[in-house]
Amino acid sequence: MLNPVDDALIEKLRAALPDGSLRPPEPRDLEEPRGKWHGQAGIVVSPRNTEQVAEVIRQAGQARVGVVPISGGTGLVAGQVATQGPPPILLSLDRMNAVRGVWPSENALVAEAGTILADVQLAADGENRLFPLSLASEGTCRIGGNLSTNAGGVQVLRYGNARDLCLGLEAVLPNGDVWHGLRRLRKDNTGYDLRNLLIGAEGTLGVITAASLRLFPRPTRVGTAMMVVPDPAAALDLLALAGAHLGPGVTAFELIGGQGLHFLADTGLPHRAPFADIPDWSVLIDVSAYGADDPNAALEALFAAALTAELSSDGIIAQSDGQAAGLWNIRENIPQANRLIGPIASHDIALPLSEIPGFIADMPDRLARLGDFRINCFGHLGDGNLHFNVFPVSGRSRADYPGASEAVTRMIHDRTHELGGSFSAEHGVGRAKVGDLQRYADPARLEAMRAVKAALDPAGIMNPGAVLG
Amino acid sequence: MKVLVPVKRVIDYNVKVRVKADGSGVDLANVKMSMNPFDEIAVEQAIRLKEAGQAEEIIAVSIGVKQNQETLRTALAMGADRAILIVASEDVHHDVEPLTVAKLLKAVVDEEAPGLVLCGKQAIDNDMNATGQMLAALLGWSQGTFASGLEIDGDNANVTREVDGGLQTIKVKMPAVVTVDLRLNEPRYASLPNIMKAKKKQLDEKTPEDYGVDASPRLEIVKTSEPEARKAGVIVKSVDELVEKLNEAGVI
Repeated sequence: MLNPVDDALIEKLRAALPDGSLRPPEPRDLEEPRGKWHGQAGIVVSPRNTEQVAEVIRQAGQARVGVVPISGGTGLVAGQVATQGPPPILLSLDRMNAVRGVWPSENALVAEAGTILADVQLAADGENRLFPLSLASEGTCRIGGNLSTNAGGVQVLRYGNARDLCLGLEAVLPNGDVWHGLRRLRKDNTGYDLRNLLIGAEGTLGVITAASLRLFPRPTRVGTAMMVVPDPAAALDLLALAGAHLGPGVTAFELIGGQGLHFLADTGLPHRAPFADIPDWSVLIDVSAYGADDPNAALEALFAAALTAELSSDGIIAQSDGQAAGLWNIRENIPQANRLIGPIASHDIALPLSEIPGFIADMPDRLARLGDFRINCFGHLGDGNLHFNVFPVSGRSRADYPGASEAVTRMIHDRTHELGGSFSAEHGVGRAKVGDLQRYADPARLEAMRAVKAALDPAGIMNPGAVLG
Repeated sequence: MKVLVPVKRVIDYNVKVRVKADGSGVDLANVKMSMNPFDEIAVEQAIRLKEAGQAEEIIAVSIGVKQNQETLRTALAMGADRAILIVASEDVHHDVEPLTVAKLLKAVVDEEAPGLVLCGKQAIDNDMNATGQMLAALLGWSQGTFASGLEIDGDNANVTREVDGGLQTIKVKMPAVVTVDLRLNEPRYASLPNIMKAKKKQLDEKTPEDYGVDASPRLEIVKTSEPEARKAGVIVKSVDELVEKLNEAGVI
């Protein structure tokens, strides 16, 4: 059993760390973006360097007190808030935000865990390189949290998720040891991959303090288009057509359901409606080009082919980066519109691509057995990742649907599992999906995960309650 | 009535501008170029006039390098009827000067006889804010600058302008040159079907010689330099410390 933070531990931490490293928790430390979970903490500690992080972990281990590492706090599955058990140490990485180095010729960059994602992107840009991890919260989230949750975002299709963008890590393990693994190697076959164990561990196996990251040549131009498609099956065919035309040039391929555009209009969030009439389905496509290549010409050729194949009937193409930002603004404001409308249940599922059209076509009828709902389905189609969110019908609120949330989620996750999918594509497990992991994970894998956790963190101090519960 | 809309191809306003190492100008090699945003507003306004039945034909004109074709195709896709490209430079780094542009536009106006010239109030690359005014002077036409509202009323145009402390509406006699400001409208997106149709619209290519205009530069760029980088801030712990820092900086 773990102990709560007490005065004796606070005194020891105060003695071991520089002035100003400790503070009592404030409400903002204990919240998460969806407002569904409320955390608790005995003290907030903000170390300035890796050795200080190690000191905190060692003190916590001796006192058997839980440690919840917190990065930007934008996670959607309550991995950053300790909802139960004795109040833990909240270990904030926000002061460790230095970019330690950029190696343009190696396409590598080393940043501390608390570096804001947008600052990592800027540091790469400053050397004419691209760090492709990109998500709606990039101005707030921090790279340590991105790696701990193996974040995805909008360019996974081309560049992979956070795991694929990491070359090495520096981390403090639960026993207080510092693992110096900031290698900048593409090839390093030397035994178990601790890096990939810590990525996606959501702070349950240690604290990532810095990361060596992969960079890419920066595209000289990116073209952005939104194309209307008749249905999700056509969207998938269009994705295949885009692949045939443009190969790795397709860097994002987002499916947008009409409901999301209606929500944007209903909530009055600032956006420019792309079409006079809201289409039932559309896709947002980014094409990256290098040298003197013209991405817009490529998109126009793709549209001409799509028109012939009857995969698209209408579309718009950004004529400036400002218009491109406007189109992406539509996509990125949909989650905000969802929050304003108030979902009954939100889901972040992954499916084999070929199962997606059937799933989307068939789920509304299944859900209708549980009540009348509106569904907003959008997501990273290229990655098989759907955000499949369920809302009250117009004029009603989620309070009118008592108990529906669990039943809806169960039905969606069961169906996803049946089709060979995942109940968490890019958000992680956190505390919100601990039950799902127990229910759907392969038993042998779950047992191996428990063994790893017990071996690295026998006292269970690291992010107690998250992932394995 | 014909409406003439000059459009300039400029560095995209979202691109981080880099100065060339030798300080001779801004590096434009393989950089995203787009229609000057104020010109885009002018194109949109011309289309709205046509949709309202107040204009019959919209002619987009661009003066610069051959690649300005792309900019004209954008204008055609938005809804312009035909386009004229005057190739006055072979190098994207050479900015054609406002007076040259105004003279060329005057020659086009003499040929096309539009009832209205709608221009952006300025180009976002050189910020000259001169072409529209020079053109009106060369033509001897009335001018309405910085339009945030535009109404055609018979032989007159009512132009609303954002001035200090409010809005000013002036009545100018047509034909006129009107330069447009940011808040006049929000330009439409170019639809893909319209982009395909725009490829078939007429685009004439000309040279300054065709109009008898000497396009050689009169201005010399002495130096281009980046703005001074922003200095890092400091975080203060208390109001007292803030006051102390502000005193040190001599700002209070």
